[in-house]
Formats: sequence, C-alpha cells, structure tokens
Amino acid sequence: MSALDVGAYSPREKGVAGLLGALAAFLLLAVVTGFLAPAYLLYLVGLSAMYMLLSMGLNVQWGYGGMINFSVAAFFGLGAYGTALLTASGSPISGGVSPVIALFGGLGLAAVLAVIIGYPTLKLRDDYLAIASLGLAEVVRIFILNESQWTAGSAGLTGIPLFFSDWPVLGDLTYPYIFYVGGTPLFNMSQSVVTSALNVVLVTAIVAAVYLFLRRIHQSPWGRVLRTIRTDEDLAETLGKNTFAFKMQAFVIGSLIMALAGVFYSHLVLFVSPQDLQPITTFYVWVAVILGGTGSDRGAMLGGFTIVAIQQGTRFLTDTGALPIGAAPLRLMLVGLLIIFIVRLRPEGILPPERELIWPDSLGGGRDE
Amino acid sequence: MSEQSLVSDGPVLGKEDPVLRAEGLEKRFGGLVATDDASIEVERGTITGLIGPNGAGKSTLFNLVSGFYEPDAGSVAVNGVDVTGQKPHQIADQGMIRTFQTPRKPEGMTVREALLVGPHNQTGESIIPLFTSPDTVEQEERRSLEQAQQMLERFEIGDLATQPATDLSGGQMKLVELARGMMAEPDLLLLDEPVAGVNPVLADKLAGFIEELNEEGITFLIIEHDMNFIMRLADPIIVLNQGSVLVEGPPEAVRSDERVIDAYLGGPSE
Repeated sequence: MSALDVGAYSPREKGVAGLLGALAAFLLLAVVTGFLAPAYLLYLVGLSAMYMLLSMGLNVQWGYGGMINFSVAAFFGLGAYGTALLTASGSPISGGVSPVIALFGGLGLAAVLAVIIGYPTLKLRDDYLAIASLGLAEVVRIFILNESQWTAGSAGLTGIPLFFSDWPVLGDLTYPYIFYVGGTPLFNMSQSVVTSALNVVLVTAIVAAVYLFLRRIHQSPWGRVLRTIRTDEDLAETLGKNTFAFKMQAFVIGSLIMALAGVFYSHLVLFVSPQDLQPITTFYVWVAVILGGTGSDRGAMLGGFTIVAIQQGTRFLTDTGALPIGAAPLRLMLVGLLIIFIVRLRPEGILPPERELIWPDSLGGGRDE
Repeated sequence: MSEQSLVSDGPVLGKEDPVLRAEGLEKRFGGLVATDDASIEVERGTITGLIGPNGAGKSTLFNLVSGFYEPDAGSVAVNGVDVTGQKPHQIADQGMIRTFQTPRKPEGMTVREALLVGPHNQTGESIIPLFTSPDTVEQEERRSLEQAQQMLERFEIGDLATQPATDLSGGQMKLVELARGMMAEPDLLLLDEPVAGVNPVLADKLAGFIEELNEEGITFLIIEHDMNFIMRLADPIIVLNQGSVLVEGPPEAVRSDERVIDAYLGGPSE
C-alpha cells in the first residue's frame, strides 16, 4: 500500500524532485558563472511562485470540485488592481495605503466577484459557470481599460511600492548593501538583488502557507465531499451534502488564492495594466493544472513552475542564439506539443493525486497500513 | 378468489406509521404525463416493493420523492415532515437515502473513501473546524473508518476497502452503494433496481443482506424488475401503471391479480 501512505513519496514524485534538483543546480551554476544575473534568477523564482499560486487556485476549483473557471485572469487582475489602487502613487483613487492592508483590498474584490458570479451559476450545472466565466474575464478587463477615472485605464498604474516598503528595517535598507567577511567585501548586493530576494522570501512564505492550508482542507471530509461532487453531484446530494455550499466555498477559496498571486505580482513588477488581464494567462494556468495532474496540489505547483520554465526558457534560447529564429513564437507551439504528449502518454498529468482524501491522523492506527 | 380481496384497488393509505408519505404526485414533461396523482405510503419496518411495466413512472416517482424533480402537484412527507419542493440533500437529512439505477462510480476514490462520504454532518465537512478542532475531526474520522470497515465485512467485501471504487464488478458496486447508504444511518433506503445486472448468486446474497438490515429496523422501498427477487423480499407490493398506483397488496396476491397481469401484458384483455 505504499502508494496510499500519507506523506510518503511515490517513485514518480522522487523522479520529479530529482529533475527539479538538477534544474536548480544548473541555474545556480549559471549564476555563479555569471551567465545569469542573480536578480533575474530571483525574479524568475518569484514569477514561478506566482504561477504556482494561480495553478493551486484553479486546482481547488477544477481539480477538487470540477468547476470550470475561465476567468483566472480576472481574479488575478482584481488582486493585482486591488492592491495597486490602494498603494500606488499613480492611483486615481487613493494610494499610499500600506501594502499589508491593501492586500485585503485585493482579496476582498476577488471574493466579492467570486460570490457574484458563483451564486447564480453554481446552482446550475458545470457548463453555466464555464460560459459565464468566459465572458467575465473580458468584462473585468474592458471595465478596467475604460473606466480610467478609477483605474487609470490603458496607461496602467505606476508607482506601486514594494511589499516591504513601509516595514521597519527591511524598508530602510541602504544600497549597495555590502556583506563583509573579515574586512573583505564578499557580496556586493545591489538594490535589485536585495528587493528580489525579499520578494522571494515573501512569496515562498505565501506559497508554503497556501500549500499547507490546502493540504489540510483537501485531505479531509470537506475535500472528500468535493471529490464526490466532481464525479457525481447528484450522488453527493443524495448523501445529504449541500453541494451548492461546498462548491461556493471551493470557488471562493480558489479565487482568493488567484487574487493572492495578483497582489504579489503587483509588488513584484511594480506596474499593472489591463494587459496583465489578457485571457492568455487563464489559458496558461489551465495548461499548468492539467499538465501537473488535475486534483493534485503538488501537481499544480509543478505545472505552474513548468509554464514559467517554458515561457522564460524560450527567451533564454533566443539569447543564446542557438536558433536561427526568435524562440518566442515557438512558445505556444511548445506548450501545444507538451499538451499532446501529456494527453497521449500521461492523461492524468505528471503528478496525479494518489492519496485518499481521509484525515491523515485517523489512519495512524496501523490497522490498514 | 379470496386472494383477490387482499389486493386493494389503488394505494393503501392511512397506514399507522409511514416513513414516507407521497400524496397526489403529478409530474409532466411537456405533454407527457409521467406520474398522475400518484400516492404511496411506506410503513415503517416494511420492505415495500414498487413494480410496474416499463414507463409506468417508477423512477419518476423516486426522483419526485427524493427531490430531484419538483412535482407539479402533490406533496411528500418523510417521517411526518413535509419536504415538498426541498433540495435532495435536505430530504436526505430527514433520513431517506436513495440509490440510483446505474451505480454511480466515484472516480479516483477507494472503496472506503467512497463509504466515508456517507455519514451526515461530519465536523470535518466545514473548513474552520479543520483548523480549530482537528482532534474532533480525527476522532469522527476514526469512528467512520471503523464503521466503514465493519460494513464492508458485513457485506463480505472487506478485502476491497482500499481498492479503487471504479474497479469493481456490477454486483460489488451495488453492495458498495448499499453500504454507503447505510453509512448515512437512514430510516428509509430507496433502492432503484438493486439486482439489475447482478449474477443470481450475488442477488441472493443481496436479498439476505436486505432482510437482515430490515430486521434491524431499516425500512426499504425497492424498485425491481426481477420478479423472483422482489416477490421473495417485499411485502406489500405496490404496482404502478401509467403514472399512478394500480393496486397494492401482498406478493402472492399481486402476482395473480388480473389487473396486474393485464398491465404487464399491455392493456386490459376481454
């Protein structure tokens, strides 16, 4: 029963971990040899983490409960705009609010939108949410584009502070920040490296917290009911489960995680515009979830990471001049090929869910293991 | 014939302690009348059979009383509580659990996992207690796991507990459905063709299990086309024809009733 052991790692997971380890080693080597700027590597880590959050959010909706949400970009965008409108110096509304408080502004917007779209559609069959959400993302984007008196329109919002900008110590670092060992400067860290490193710390904490939160709610009676709803909503109803309530909870939680990614994005890139709400983001996140293994939190994280690897890896290829043409146009083709391979070879994704949704501690009796 | 007199014309109503009482249920799909003034009562402690020719409205009646269809007219009460127009999950909460004609396969779940969905109002089904009182969740979960294992062993499929629920034979699937229904601790179990596609040996076993559970106080309402199975098990038997109750009575009497034979053969002879 090793596959069912909670917390144990399957050979597949070990393989993936090995690959990721090798990639990390390679990237570190690239940094040490000066091939890759440290600040850029840290930026990439931040971007991967952001996609991991988006994928985990969609996984709660689609992977846990089978809800088809085509407006990932909208929830991401609301998170990004929510915090930006409150904190940015270029904000037409307020600006200057501490990012720690503004965070809740972004989350609040996303939660309200999730309830507004979820209430009428989640009572109906899955398809209706899909249809409604398809339009929703564009409605939100075009609203932001046109209502420039509130959102600065196509110009976008500039002057977004760093997340740590008003924190004691972290906000007051002076640059360059030189790290001495025995009188000789060891690291000469420029501002970009320090802020990128802080962003990585921040997003790692967020990803870890979200992952732990999700693991707990997934491997529980709650997650089990959602898994039942996913395969057969009628069945869950006959067993006395209020499927609407369960779906609504999962939908809002998923949307909040997406908004969290948006909040982080704002404070990473320090600029948001309606461009960031393009439907392509939704598409990438869907690919990430399916690629990683629908229904698996780890799979979603791996999928999110893979998407960034493809996006940025192709840029890398262009820079090395290894290809006669720019690699950017190959990006979508690569993604397409990857999907075909996955569907052909591993329809359940790279890391499909392998665990029973049973409260882990209650299996500790040793009877079934 | 003295047996004929045992068979009532139409449903027997005004039973002493009905778990389920449906009155004057009517459901139309466009111009088609699926059930027309259908009334039934299921007395507590019985195994009540529901038979009738194809298209008589048996499954529609199930869907009406379990809340999957909203009736155009009529009312449904479970344990004396009016549940007309309520959602299926609210009706299930009143103590009536149903199964489906084609077994519902919970994909990606093991058998015991599927069973654990059964119990009502688990603490761990709300998100906050997962963080504030994990101990309660753990205890409940342990209890449910034990109960699930016992239930599976009782139905002689204890070895299937950690198998994927989709890898079962049709008969085993029916047993799992029954076990899952029992996990919800119902007063009344509605079974829709429990032995359709099940081999005779397993069908026999299933009948035995149903009788056992009935002796322990579970009331059953069973739709079944297998006459041997239903006649052996159920008393009374309600015969549905053209959307309403034709007759109701004990199995031997119903079996030889002229009206029932006519209904099955299609229209009154003579």
